Amino acid sequence: MSDAGPTDAGSSDTAMSAPKVNDCRLMVSLRGVSKVYEAPRSLPVVALRDVDLDVAAGEFVVVTGRSAAGKTTLLNVIAGLSRPSAGVVLVDGTDLWGLSDRRRSRLRNADMGFVFQFPSLLSSLTVLQNVLLPLSLGPAGWPEGQRVDEEPPGGHGGDGGPSARDRAEKLLELVGLGSAARSYPRRLSAGQQQRVVIARALINHPRLLLADEPTSNLDEETEAEIMELLGRVHDETGATIVLVTHAADLVRRGTRHLAMADGRLRPAVGLARG
Amino acid sequence: MSQIIRRKAASGLVKIGRVIVLALRNAAGDPVRSWLIAICAFVIAGFAVSTAIVVRGGQDSLRLAASRLGADVVVVPRGAATEVDGALLMGTVSRRWMPRSDLARIAAVKGVAVASPQIYLESLSHASCCAVSHMFIVAFDPRTDFTVEPWLRRQLGGTLGLQQAVGGSQVTVPVNHNVMLYGYTMWLRGKLEPTGTNLDQSLFITLPTAYAMARSSSTTAVKPLVIPKDRVSSVMVKVAPGSDPAAVAAAITRSVPGVNAVMRPQMFAAYRTQIAGLLHVMLVVLALLLALALVALVLLLSMAAHERRRELGVLRALGASRGVVVVALLAEALVVACAGGLAGVAVAGFGVSLLHTPIAAHLGIPFVYPSGGALAAQVAAGLGLALVAVGVAAAIPALRASGEEPAVAMRE
Repeated sequence: MSDAGPTDAGSSDTAMSAPKVNDCRLMVSLRGVSKVYEAPRSLPVVALRDVDLDVAAGEFVVVTGRSAAGKTTLLNVIAGLSRPSAGVVLVDGTDLWGLSDRRRSRLRNADMGFVFQFPSLLSSLTVLQNVLLPLSLGPAGWPEGQRVDEEPPGGHGGDGGPSARDRAEKLLELVGLGSAARSYPRRLSAGQQQRVVIARALINHPRLLLADEPTSNLDEETEAEIMELLGRVHDETGATIVLVTHAADLVRRGTRHLAMADGRLRPAVGLARG
Repeated sequence: MSQIIRRKAASGLVKIGRVIVLALRNAAGDPVRSWLIAICAFVIAGFAVSTAIVVRGGQDSLRLAASRLGADVVVVPRGAATEVDGALLMGTVSRRWMPRSDLARIAAVKGVAVASPQIYLESLSHASCCAVSHMFIVAFDPRTDFTVEPWLRRQLGGTLGLQQAVGGSQVTVPVNHNVMLYGYTMWLRGKLEPTGTNLDQSLFITLPTAYAMARSSSTTAVKPLVIPKDRVSSVMVKVAPGSDPAAVAAAITRSVPGVNAVMRPQMFAAYRTQIAGLLHVMLVVLALLLALALVALVLLLSMAAHERRRELGVLRALGASRGVVVVALLAEALVVACAGGLAGVAVAGFGVSLLHTPIAAHLGIPFVYPSGGALAAQVAAGLGLALVAVGVAAAIPALRASGEEPAVAMRE
């Protein structure tokens, strides 16, 4: 059984400190999680093998591994986007697969933000509309212009704060794209699109940010900018971040480094921000 | 509590609005797909509405015409029922006559309250009076008539005199109210209500006027009007209260040789059969259209959903439930279908209205354009059918797409 938890990480990885781990609350907990992809007329593919993982609230975990190591599957399982073949997935103490699809979706919408490795902006929407999209999918379906608290109860909206549109515009400014709000994604470079995706991931004040190879298609300079941005997000929001990448040099951005190979997860040596 | 419910309802409405806005944006993003969906909806809704207008209009027309005649039983020369129907409905004048002496024998049958003769005539070809090539003329006996007379008394305060006429709803009334047939001038006193049959383009005169016109025509018309002596075209029968029209009709047929007595519900039988046949054909064509459209739409929308698997996976990742994905895909198809369907019913409605006369002539059936309420119901039904067809076609790929694991969808 592979086992990777905050305590292990703290003990085995000398450079790993977790400044944002301000309580012992587990944001993510995987127990004995396996994932097997079965397809007709082909052999089953084991993507995750009996994975145990604990991620404390506020951690910035970087998972590295080669292609097809199971990194993306790990993120998908944590996010409830893929049902594990075995094991339990807890997010903030809630068993994801004990929830109905509706409640699981709501939890994803309310508590999680995603940065995908592929272009994931909707081409029919402007940059601003893309950033606002998670709000319209949420339980309240905040319209543009409705007021949303910066620190709303349960991480959600209420009265008295800036409008959703204001917040989206601020986030776009944060990622350096304040002037592109009304542009369509096709007019942006790959790096700019990925910045918009980060802004979209933050619109709902997520407590858990999941990033899947966020810099895989970017040049070195843009990659550094995106990672810098994620670091700032972590520092400023205290969100728990799980980032998977095959680029080993990105591990220094995290507070804990895990390595993945052949569907197994293990603590890795060498990290990270101290 | 009520405030919470109101807020939840408002939030639900906002969400639905957002989904529709997103659907519109996506529909605009793939114009080819949207056009194909719209065309399918256009054809289904348009065909359904035009079928409903023509078939229902035909049935209404026959009902109105029978009601206008006001007779419980119509007696016609044996074998001439279809000809007389054609004369009344389509203006194809009957050349078959029955002896006037039959009138007394019919009136004597038990259960007959009133028997009134009618003569069917037509104007000369392209007479100066009329917009139609041959104006159909119904001559009735003012002493016994119960079909036009009640309306005349109600609307005009009395019966028609010599050299007077009333027209069907589509007869144009000249400024000086004078019409000339066979060189014989008559005063057109007014117009009847529409029936959708040829009666709307007919003139109604009394028998004395008809005979006077025939006498005059020998010197005033290019071709004289000939009315066979002591002959009538048909006899309208009103049954006495308490009598069974079927029994009376049977008794007339039995006791008066050379005639057929037809009850009101059985009048225009050939046309009823024709309309039923038309309905049957239209329904078969509609069913074929629906089947073809469904197959095309399912393929089209399945391809579209497949192409957008990653996008749908992203939506799921961002918090869209399966239900939201289904609603989004349905809304996208239905918004476009609604536009196409509305265009279809509008074109069908206006088209049938504009081409009313040629359609009736081509199909060989009369039909009356529906009133506002009936038209609204037909439009709603046609639009509903198109939306249901597109909805069903969209639901199949939508359910399939929403059921897919988001991670698998995004992997594409």
